[in-house]
Amino acid sequence: MDRSLKARLEARLADHLAGPIRQRHDQTEIRIRPADLLEVMRTLHDDPDFDFTIIADLAGVDTGTTMQVVYHLWSAKTTDWLRIIAEGMPREDPRIPSLTGLWPGAEWMERETYDMFGIIFEGNRDLRRIYMPPDYASFPLRKDFYLPDDSARSPGGGARHVEQPNAPVVTSTRAPRRTVRG
Amino acid sequence: MTTPTGLGHHASEDDPRIMLDGQIGQYEQVPPYPPRTEREAEFYSLRDGEMFLNMGPQHPSTHGVLRVVLKINGENVVDLDPVLGYLHRGVEKLCENSDYHHVISQIDPLEYVSSLFMEWAPVMSFEQLLDVKVPRRAEYIRVLTGELLRVASHVLFQGWMALDLGGLAPILYSFIERDEIVEMLAALTGQRMLFNYFRIGGVNGDLNHEFMSRLGDWMSRALVQHEANIGLLNENEIFVRRMRDIGRLDGETAKRMGVSGPNIRAAGVPFDVRRAHPYSVYPELEFDIPVRGTGPAGGDSLDRYLLRLDEVRESIRIIDQCLHNMPDGPVMARLPRLMRPRPGRAWAAVESPRGLFGTYVISDGTDQPFRMKIHDPSFVHLQLVGMLMKNNLIADTMAVMASLDPVMGGIDK
Repeated sequence: MDRSLKARLEARLADHLAGPIRQRHDQTEIRIRPADLLEVMRTLHDDPDFDFTIIADLAGVDTGTTMQVVYHLWSAKTTDWLRIIAEGMPREDPRIPSLTGLWPGAEWMERETYDMFGIIFEGNRDLRRIYMPPDYASFPLRKDFYLPDDSARSPGGGARHVEQPNAPVVTSTRAPRRTVRG
Repeated sequence: MTTPTGLGHHASEDDPRIMLDGQIGQYEQVPPYPPRTEREAEFYSLRDGEMFLNMGPQHPSTHGVLRVVLKINGENVVDLDPVLGYLHRGVEKLCENSDYHHVISQIDPLEYVSSLFMEWAPVMSFEQLLDVKVPRRAEYIRVLTGELLRVASHVLFQGWMALDLGGLAPILYSFIERDEIVEMLAALTGQRMLFNYFRIGGVNGDLNHEFMSRLGDWMSRALVQHEANIGLLNENEIFVRRMRDIGRLDGETAKRMGVSGPNIRAAGVPFDVRRAHPYSVYPELEFDIPVRGTGPAGGDSLDRYLLRLDEVRESIRIIDQCLHNMPDGPVMARLPRLMRPRPGRAWAAVESPRGLFGTYVISDGTDQPFRMKIHDPSFVHLQLVGMLMKNNLIADTMAVMASLDPVMGGIDK
């Protein structure tokens, strides 16, 4: 745990934090709103005090009630991984700015997240499906997409592994069974 | 856009790049419907003298099942568009529907060339969720087997690299080495490729006699054999000329592209997770991080190739130290069979032979992970091919791709 990183983050990003900074093991976690993403990332990348130049991961998360995008960054200035959780996107129409201006390599990571969750990255110039076929209509990693062998936990008839037409603009009619807080 | 069955599944008449009978001859109709993105519109518009060439998905040098649409002008590649998904199995979804022990075997086949590393990252993140302390002997065994597999992977890379450039002999020598290592690991784990050996809190079984005697035999000649294998290619003028100055990548671009592993170190950036963010017992071990291509122009394919050969030497050094420093003790922490970690999040990353391999796990308090994100380095590296290939020859496409050492199993997840 890097206590000084927490102090620096609090000093520099106080206006943008949407929740307390948490530290556990070798990770520091901040929460922001999707609208602040570009400003926060630019600060973390360009500020010589932070110098987070390496993007380790970009993950979409469907909490069951909202959508998140989670970023992991690495910097030589700290011993911690930095986790940035952009939270609170509505499941019906999740939108977040694209990071491709800062890290062009995020393009495919965002394409993957779009493919799996239907999260729209505004500014990504190649937001196509990457794994699923182009005419596929649903988003497999959403929590309302069930696998056939998921039936152990589902009431009868809950298991349908064929795709459901959940375009990001259409509200899903079935509520996910599993949710997680934040 | 679904097929009449309503189950619209595979690329069919909707795929812009498959010509139906009626469309043959209508070249202006590529793609046949309005492009979906800016980039697609740019890629699928042809200028004078340009044409498309389809490579794969069953191409011997695509390291798996990958289709690449090349836009060419004569012999020169103008642009290319990799088409993924032929090996997509939805491993992340499967992991969310498996319990924590089961995840290890689900994630194992992701990258069949170095599968121990695929087990290492999730196991480490689960240990963080559960606050488990791994016995030191288990950590040493993990490092020992991991580095052995790194050698196997890099040695195999050397053979594939030559094969993609048209040289048949080196792959045979590579497989001698690799086979010796996987047989040794099979004696330890019971499997040749998908070991399923790491466990939450340790490893499955202590080192045994057969493994140790095979390892001793191999260690006594490993470096000599490595030097001999290097001599196969490094003095081959055709090989060197086809690698030098092809596919140059500089450090700043590499960072922006999210590159890691040998590819970023061959671009002059000394980023290795084993040192940049130490895990396991790596802080106690002595080894160097080879770096090449430190000049302003960065490193080329030859640098990426040579860097992996340097890493083999360092790995053999680490194996040697592991054997000398191996402590006694248990190889598993005491843990219950059924695990229900408290709700929380954990991220762990390891340095796989291809680069930073990490997993991000969210627990909701049940015995199955709520979300399991897998970050595979090959996936990120494949993006580079389009950038590195611009204005090079078609024949060099596969050479550049091979020098990045992608494995399609990991890319397609």
